[in-house]
Amino acid sequence: MIAESLFERSLNHLLRQSPGTAEALIRHAGASVRFDLAFKQFDFRIADDGCFSEAVVDAPDAVIRPTPALIARLPFFGRDALRDADYTGDPALLATLDRVFKQLDWDVEADLAPWVGDIAAHRLNTISRDALAGIARAFSALGHNASEYLVEEVELMARGVDVARFNQAVDVLADDTARLDARLRRLETRDA
Amino acid sequence: MDKTTHFGYQQVAESEKAAKVAEVFHSVAAQYDVMNDLMSAGLHRLWKRFAVAQAGLRPGMKVLDVAGGTADLTRLFLKEVGDTGQVLLTDINFSMLREGRDRMLNEGRTPPAIQCDGERLPFPDDYFDCVSVAFGLRNMTHKDQALAEMNRVLKPGGRLLVLEFSKVWKPLEPAYDLYSFKLLPLMGKLVAKDAASYQYLAESIRMHPGQEELKAMMETAGFAKVSYHNLTAGVVALHKGFKV
Repeated sequence: MIAESLFERSLNHLLRQSPGTAEALIRHAGASVRFDLAFKQFDFRIADDGCFSEAVVDAPDAVIRPTPALIARLPFFGRDALRDADYTGDPALLATLDRVFKQLDWDVEADLAPWVGDIAAHRLNTISRDALAGIARAFSALGHNASEYLVEEVELMARGVDVARFNQAVDVLADDTARLDARLRRLETRDA
Repeated sequence: MDKTTHFGYQQVAESEKAAKVAEVFHSVAAQYDVMNDLMSAGLHRLWKRFAVAQAGLRPGMKVLDVAGGTADLTRLFLKEVGDTGQVLLTDINFSMLREGRDRMLNEGRTPPAIQCDGERLPFPDDYFDCVSVAFGLRNMTHKDQALAEMNRVLKPGGRLLVLEFSKVWKPLEPAYDLYSFKLLPLMGKLVAKDAASYQYLAESIRMHPGQEELKAMMETAGFAKVSYHNLTAGVVALHKGFKV
């Protein structure tokens, strides 16, 4: 009960914060949409004002399935990550939903302002945005480094067994050199 | 012979229950809010806020608050539906309704306050986006009829919210019984000068259907996707159902 309600309120809140999105959905009023999150399904009907309203739906007009790629990208890529969702159902409704979801923009600052004030809200938003961007950059750099290592450097790296064999050969060479050195010294002593 | 029903632990004729319940609420109306705060340690405010959060209301929606009494829910609903929406406060008991209406007038609000029976709602079919009944269904003689009426006045897709005392978590029952049957009547006697009404409250809670029973009743009345959420270990439960 709580999950459905939270989902509904959050979605409608985002629609209200993103100009033109609810208006775009009005022409699909009455259509049903299912968000299939694998562990739970959320069924909604598009209301006359273009918002989502929790509903009892047997056969939804559209089904949206967030893929693992979307969930992984969402914190860092925001609405761009929605390109990774799976959509099935009525093409016209899906086209609108796709467009609407890509336009959704959470105005964090506006939501924080009533609680902490305008200035603190702006600073908190800037700090969290910079922190997320920093994390995204770190992950991206890590990914680049890992791929570079796998593609180019791994071939150049000696394996453990090769290093052991090399060390053993060095030991043999050192022994041979020492033996040769001893033999030469003996010969020099005899000749003298 | 007239059929009987329960009034707390007593069996009374069905025709007498409404009058007896009315007596209780006439008696406690003036101290109702103070007693609610005292009895629940203010938790009833959170329960009601939770219920409103589950209503999924948006500006412009029409809401019916059945047995709304002192208008706690109505006032919260009004904030959600805005100036373009409509919230109707109803109660069968004039004393309670007057308290609710006066509170709203004192806050500069004038939504309609209508005295009517929850079992015979004077509203057209398919009219409201949301119907709520908070701590009222327990006192109705024919709960099934009241639920059917709420279903009738809801628009298809509209939702019913029933906030009501329910069956508490088993391990807490002894403490809850002690509180309900010893402390509640005492508080009623000291604050509202009426121990009997609060004895009735404790008894009526025990006679009210539990979570699963009420869910089944709502389904029988035609609601779909009925779910409930226990609050404060089941002291109160919020049931939600949709008209299809």
